Amino acid sequence: MTDISPTLGAPNLPAHPATTGRLHFADLRQRSVETARSRLIWVVIGFVFFALTAFARIGQLGFGAAALAHDDGAAMAPPRAEITDRNGVPLARAFPGYALRFNPEALGGSGSPLVKTPEEVARALVQIFPDLVYGVVLDKLKAGEATELRGRVLPEQANAVQALGEPALEFPIVPQRFYPQGSLAAHVIGYLEADKTGLHGKIGIEETLDARLLDKARRAEPVALSLDARAQGALEDELARGIADTHATGGGGIVLDADNGEIIALASLPSFDPNRPDLALNRLVFNRTSNQVYELGSTFKPFTIAAAIDAGVVTDLAVRYPATPFKIAGRTISDSHNLGASLNVPEALIHSSNIVTAQVADKLGGQKLRDTMIALGMNTRPPIEISARGKPLWPQGDWSRLTTMTVSYGHGLSVTPLHLATGYAALVNGGLWRPATLFKVDPAHVPEGRRVFQAATSARMRQLLRLIVVDGTGKRADAAGFRVGGKTGSAEIAGAHGGAYRKNALIATFAAAFPMDRPRYVVIVMLDEPQGTEATSGQRTAAYNAAPIVGRLVPRIGPMLGVAPDRHRDIDVSDLTPLVANGEGE
Amino acid sequence: MTKSLHAPRSLGWIAALMIGLALVTVLAFRVNALRSQVHKTDAAIIALQQETLYLETEFEARASQHQLKAWNDVEFGFVAPGAAQYLDSERQLAAFAKPAEPGAPAPVRVASADDDAAAAMAFPAMVSPLTGRPVEPVRASAEPADDAAPPRVGSALADRIGTVRHRANDTELAVKPKRPVHIAVAKTTAEPEPSARGQHSARTLLANTTTHARAERTDAPAKTAHKDRGPAR
Repeated sequence: MTDISPTLGAPNLPAHPATTGRLHFADLRQRSVETARSRLIWVVIGFVFFALTAFARIGQLGFGAAALAHDDGAAMAPPRAEITDRNGVPLARAFPGYALRFNPEALGGSGSPLVKTPEEVARALVQIFPDLVYGVVLDKLKAGEATELRGRVLPEQANAVQALGEPALEFPIVPQRFYPQGSLAAHVIGYLEADKTGLHGKIGIEETLDARLLDKARRAEPVALSLDARAQGALEDELARGIADTHATGGGGIVLDADNGEIIALASLPSFDPNRPDLALNRLVFNRTSNQVYELGSTFKPFTIAAAIDAGVVTDLAVRYPATPFKIAGRTISDSHNLGASLNVPEALIHSSNIVTAQVADKLGGQKLRDTMIALGMNTRPPIEISARGKPLWPQGDWSRLTTMTVSYGHGLSVTPLHLATGYAALVNGGLWRPATLFKVDPAHVPEGRRVFQAATSARMRQLLRLIVVDGTGKRADAAGFRVGGKTGSAEIAGAHGGAYRKNALIATFAAAFPMDRPRYVVIVMLDEPQGTEATSGQRTAAYNAAPIVGRLVPRIGPMLGVAPDRHRDIDVSDLTPLVANGEGE
Repeated sequence: MTKSLHAPRSLGWIAALMIGLALVTVLAFRVNALRSQVHKTDAAIIALQQETLYLETEFEARASQHQLKAWNDVEFGFVAPGAAQYLDSERQLAAFAKPAEPGAPAPVRVASADDDAAAAMAFPAMVSPLTGRPVEPVRASAEPADDAAPPRVGSALADRIGTVRHRANDTELAVKPKRPVHIAVAKTTAEPEPSARGQHSARTLLANTTTHARAERTDAPAKTAHKDRGPAR
């Protein structure tokens, strides 16, 4: 021990001081250890803190990124879902566009908000937008309040306004609704109108699906309708030509899938432009095809004959009925012209005889005809997903003999052309009535339908309808190769408030289906008050104005809808042709 | 002594801490930078989508049904094709083929089956309806054997339908099918085999006649046989 002390550098130190120094060292060492431990703890705390901070940051970034992605998704979704046709052609889309706003605060200061005089600016604006009214614009500019001058401005127009050099004229980008096809199918699609809660749909699908189109979760995905824009275009085009040719006040048309009730095209002319909702507040918005009820006349005769065949009242088509006018309950039932002494059922349809149809209906009885009409949905509003659904004028109570007879040839019961379309679909598709729809029908979930006629009756009616086009009043609808079958109807319009029929005002209708050997589509064309013109050989009846429209329309839409013309194929009517003497009628 | 030993160690810890802090800060900056980049890209995507939407909508509006109708009325005058313009089958299409005019070069016929398949499809030997025994074709017995004429038995069918004969210089070449020919007016090309005679002129011929390949499939073997027989007599 002693020999160690010199190495510590204190050889002569007594034992006590040595003990004290050792204690001192021990103390120092303990304190150092404590200090080190505390520092270590601080360092560990520091590390843990930073580690936690880093993790927190990473976590925050993770959640933040999710929120960011969500925001972007919302930014990319349109404010209102798109509406397309069955092939994805956009019919209505949300579209950010410029509006024109007058903001008097833009220049600041207390002087005039405009650089030029309000008169000059108003004149320049009216030059750029000819539909603006000078006085109205001037009043808005002079009022000195922030107002919208115009809801939609095209980029070129915006440039022209910019060139005026007025800072108070601003172009805020606002979500707008744009209908690229213009007035095409305007009655089906509808338009938007601004109210306190924003833009909302008026009429048509825009109104029906307003909530769905605005739904945040689903507005990114477009709504597909059953319409085909090409068929719709062709229908409107041919209908417009027919209206122009006959100086009619308007017209309507439907192309309906006979098997599942899909509406391929639905037109009501004259139409309106949904891009200008400010101009849409007029009677053009009224849908003649699904909202206006008409006595559709002779187009109802096939329903009567089918009901009679179905009920076993007409079993032999060769049986002849007298075709001389007769009186019932004070009314004379007569034909448009003398059709000879007697007619059988096929001839009665071909020549469109009221007298024979009324006799058949009388044999059938009012109750059965009424039941058939109810089964065809003629007593309720038409089934379609828009609000424009006309209520039929349905004869109340039990039908008298006279009512039964008049209804049998399409008078005394007013329905919409859409009723007629769904009825004809049931007539030709094997006898099943299905509601019309504006949405695509999944082939696996076609509505079962309601049986109105037996399949055999439907087959017979297909033959008869084809005969009417081959030999009868529908000749001008006989598009080569498309095996069109159908029935004309020219009904006088009843005067206002149930007054007498107006002899000079007709509703000319042609209800058709094609191809008759396996009907796929029903086509209804209706003209409101057509006039006899050079184009229609001076005639006003459906055979001369509505039937030719179908004859021109079917070759245009057939191939698009998957029906190719074939001159070597037709429905077999050879068992009926011996019963028919050719001729014309209405 | 202990202090001097511990000081560098704690300095080391502090340095490690500082480095960690610096790294976290750098990371945070980088993340922020990236995020703003993502934002910018998103904004660019939205802008481009809106531009696409705008252009698409403009296109749709300019090519709307009404506009197309207006153009058609003024410019094009297209009408819906009539029933006569639709064909049911290739047979109906083949009925439109023009018969060969006199003096026209022999059409290039391209076989659709390979040689083995053609050989397998060879006509069965003609059998006498009375005796049930095979009979010699009359033609074969009537005509003297000619080594210039190709054999007429069924096994040579592939050779015959795969042969092009040029009238002018009487050259012949074998053609190899490139692909089966089903619809006859479809343009077909044929490659001459290297071993064929008269390669050069045949190529010129091929160049001239590829567009005239027509469809008289039903009478093809008969005509070929007839043409082949002509110069041989």
